[in-house]
Amino acid sequence: MPKQITEMLKGTLEGIVLAILAGRAAYGYEITAWLREQGFTEIAEGTVYALLLRIEQRGLVDVEKVPSEKGPPRKVYTLNAAGHEQLDDFWRNWSFLAERLDQLRTGDAPTASTTANEGE
Amino acid sequence: MAKNIIELVVGDLADKRKYREYKARAKALPAGYREAEAAVERYVMYLGPTDDGASLIAMLGDLADLFEQAVADGTSVRDLVGADPVEFAETFMANYSGGSWITKERARLAASIDEAVGDAGGGTAGTGSGSAS
Repeated sequence: MPKQITEMLKGTLEGIVLAILAGRAAYGYEITAWLREQGFTEIAEGTVYALLLRIEQRGLVDVEKVPSEKGPPRKVYTLNAAGHEQLDDFWRNWSFLAERLDQLRTGDAPTASTTANEGE
Repeated sequence: MAKNIIELVVGDLADKRKYREYKARAKALPAGYREAEAAVERYVMYLGPTDDGASLIAMLGDLADLFEQAVADGTSVRDLVGADPVEFAETFMANYSGGSWITKERARLAASIDEAVGDAGGGTAGTGSGSAS
């Protein structure tokens, strides 16, 4: 189901990128390459680039321009304090979501009869 | 079309110079990348920050950076824009302030609904922005 996983990734990709940058400084191409190695083959390099621009604008990363032999200078991104906070938020939301979905799967979700009992 | 927008929006000479620099960079891209970049440019020029010259110029500069970098890294056009180029273009465009009529209509819809909710005297006031993250 490549389509479904792509949809799911859309909402989590920013958090994934922040998590990668929490481990080490990186530039866009490295991040995409790593994601592809991990099996996220559907991710467009351009989308990762756009997300990096976004987290840069929101002040979640520090950016250093490093000259490269070929092409324009590379921007190397490092997660700063605000970025770490944002990442903590992401993991909290992720845990909440994962927990609730797991409840749904294991059948702990409220059944039709219990919700009906609540009435108005 | 694009040229008319630029002349209308981009008043000052520095921006015009930057726009010409961008066009030269776009033209210098290798075959395949050049056509892909032109296609993305067309899309973002229609739907992007067409009412904000500085924002528009910044966007085009970033677009040229991205494509030049992809050429240098040997990233294929498909891997660059992905299976869904619209998704890429929209994510990219969202970084720039200002917008076309379509952005204004989106803001207008959200504001109108906020107002309607207020008139109905109920509900919690929405923030008007989509995701909470």
